[in-house]
Amino acid sequence: MEQKNKKPKGRFTSVAVRPTAADHSFNLAVDIFLMVLLVIIAVPLWSTITLSFRPNDYIGNNLQGMFLAPWQWSNAAYKALLGNAGFVLAFGNSVKILIGGVVTALLLTIPLAYVLSIHTLPGRRYLNLLIIIPYVFNVGMIPSYLLVTNLGLIDKLAAVFLPGAISTYNCLIMRSFFEGIPNELKESARIDGATEIQVLMLVILPLSKAIIMTIGLFYGVSFWNDFFHAMLYLNNNQLQPLPILLRNILMASGMNEYVEVSAFGDAPIAAIKAASVFMSAIPMVIAYPFIQKYFTKGTLLGSVKG
Amino acid sequence: MKRTCTVCIALVALLSLVSLPLFSQGTADQAKASGPTTIELWYGAAITEAGPPPADWVGFQIIKDKLNIDLKLTALPSNESDQDVKVQAAAAANNLPDLFMVRRDVLTRLVPQGLVAPVDDLYEKMPIRTAKHYDEVSRSHARFNGKTYGLADPGSINKNEGLLIRKDWLDKLGLSVPKTTDELLAVMRAFTFNDPDGNGKHDTYGYGAFQEINNYEAWPGRRLEPIFGAFGVDGTWNMTASNAGLNILKPEFFDAMSLLKQMADEGIIDPNWLAYKKDDFRAAWKQGRFGIMREQNAAFAAQANYAPFDKNFPNGEWIIIDPPTGPKGHASIGPYTAGFRIYAISAKAVKEGKKDKIAALLEWMASDEGYYLLGWGVEGVNYTKDANGIPVAANLPNPDLAFSAPGGQTVTQLRNMVFYNGDIELYARYPKYITATSKKEMSALDVLRVMQTKKWTPAVGSDTLPIPNADLKRFYEQGLSEFITGKRSLTRDNWNKWIDEFKRLGGQDWNDKGVAFAKENNLLN
Repeated sequence: MEQKNKKPKGRFTSVAVRPTAADHSFNLAVDIFLMVLLVIIAVPLWSTITLSFRPNDYIGNNLQGMFLAPWQWSNAAYKALLGNAGFVLAFGNSVKILIGGVVTALLLTIPLAYVLSIHTLPGRRYLNLLIIIPYVFNVGMIPSYLLVTNLGLIDKLAAVFLPGAISTYNCLIMRSFFEGIPNELKESARIDGATEIQVLMLVILPLSKAIIMTIGLFYGVSFWNDFFHAMLYLNNNQLQPLPILLRNILMASGMNEYVEVSAFGDAPIAAIKAASVFMSAIPMVIAYPFIQKYFTKGTLLGSVKG
Repeated sequence: MKRTCTVCIALVALLSLVSLPLFSQGTADQAKASGPTTIELWYGAAITEAGPPPADWVGFQIIKDKLNIDLKLTALPSNESDQDVKVQAAAAANNLPDLFMVRRDVLTRLVPQGLVAPVDDLYEKMPIRTAKHYDEVSRSHARFNGKTYGLADPGSINKNEGLLIRKDWLDKLGLSVPKTTDELLAVMRAFTFNDPDGNGKHDTYGYGAFQEINNYEAWPGRRLEPIFGAFGVDGTWNMTASNAGLNILKPEFFDAMSLLKQMADEGIIDPNWLAYKKDDFRAAWKQGRFGIMREQNAAFAAQANYAPFDKNFPNGEWIIIDPPTGPKGHASIGPYTAGFRIYAISAKAVKEGKKDKIAALLEWMASDEGYYLLGWGVEGVNYTKDANGIPVAANLPNPDLAFSAPGGQTVTQLRNMVFYNGDIELYARYPKYITATSKKEMSALDVLRVMQTKKWTPAVGSDTLPIPNADLKRFYEQGLSEFITGKRSLTRDNWNKWIDEFKRLGGQDWNDKGVAFAKENNLLN
């Protein structure tokens, strides 16, 4: 009680404003909105998780299935997935694409963004224009396919990430971030005798962890989920990544009525579908909490100048 | 300035260094080597989620040794529209594989561009395969301007669906099998309101369905075709010479819609039918939600599919019945066409002199050796033969490698290229079994045979007729569903106005083009 009545100390004292009924109503509305948002997000997620643990002999609809007691759950779908050589192979391919893609994309995006952030660069405006034009006017699938074919990238994992290794959007965010770093820091490094490469490596990059992590995450998510390029450019089935297998699994029930068997044994196909969706999301779900602190900072810093 | 330029040059050099190794990888295997002819084959996988044949699959070596062919396999994506994208992108780059599966829609676009080769001369080079796989209907399926541009292999089995009714419910309510639409309505009402499962709840319905539509099967799709068949308007097209055209333009279509509307209004069709997906529909009949449905033979009677129903209703029994007869004597389970999988040969492959090798490969696939190897794997490893010579997954040293087990499925991914719905395949695919709970003997093959004896409407070739544009298709589907849900009032006057609008939006043109195409290609009965 005593604490409650304490007035704030200091030179400038704020006046405690009593919330009005309108404030309470607004807060309530916000709370309700957030609760609804939570339900909209949580219900499908929970539905997918419970579906993935559904036993083969389950009889009931999806709503009832969401309330199935955990001791009635079955891990058959996960066992089947992890025991399937195709799944393990596809997961491995996706990891290779993820690592190769993020490393390549950052290696290409960082220097480009840095170069574009140098105001004294000759022809900087034209370079910017050159980068923005294809961003606005996409070249389309066929020219891209022809280019990838002519570069001999068909049936190479690089075909999945190289065409999108520099995202204009990501590059512009990064450029804005680099432009926001005080010029004095670069100047003082140059006065100390640093070359431009050293400025980039020793001054800019250590100050840019947030944006690098953020953009890396953007790239990582897009490469991890990329179905289209893999479908188009990878003919060798041994190279196919998780999204392709996932798509095949999701299409499976349409086929199984004509055959007597499933590639995943006795596990129910609906559970297999849900488990594969869940497992393919796991790496990104794990990555987010570690990158979250950089993520918020990175996106905010990149968007504010001056 | 100088420094900045140096940085730029250094960075460009860095970009090149990073990129070069990636670019250079692709060129290594471009060089042609003498020796076996390489045939690149894009196939439709039998079990899409199972993965491709392994690199050490025995088939590769046999094909190399016997035919001097180095076979390169690529499984096409499982989804048809993805397949189309992949094939069309390769076509645009003039990079089509030597032999590839393609949908007829796409083939119609590849032919005028000269990207695929005619195959008429191949039939006589493949006598075994031709005798088993290609009849006149098959040849005409991919014929354009007098030439056949694709080898149309048999696809799914004809007439493999039937109208099923819960016999245990009929018996409990003292009803007989309905023969007319009026009797069907009476049974539906009894199934809905007279508690056929005896649980004291109003939780059952007469008819169950879901919307199952595609470019060739218009709304509401095959699950309700027996209703439309009773009025002689089942299927998108009427393929009779005397009355050819879109069924929706026939006056009887209104009568069929009226019956469907009556079912919906009385609540004797499962009200979820407009929301159900295939899986929901199948879960619903296994939960005893409705007592009449049109279902596919294996989806109904295959061991894994029937097991949940058997467990839930050990005394439950579905029987296959004749389609109900309508007021003018019409009756049909629905239209049937000849389903095909088309394999085309690229013009590039022919230019490279690979056509005869492709013929040899396909003919070998149709030989006993190829048929069993691609269909079931290696005898003694993936299958054994029973006393009747039917491949079975029994008495194998490693049951995990059986053709029906997850470990053995990859070696039979090409089986759709050799199967032609012959008896051996059907016996192997649909073995007899005893159900786990009720101990009934079941066979999806017996079910199929009965389904095939029922009355169907011949519509072979109707799936080659022109398809409507997206706007017209949407108008068609949305309009019909609105009449059933009550958003539009289903009166004769409203119907005629809607049909006039449909014709104005391109429906008449679609009808005229379809009829002209059917006449031109001798598709009418």
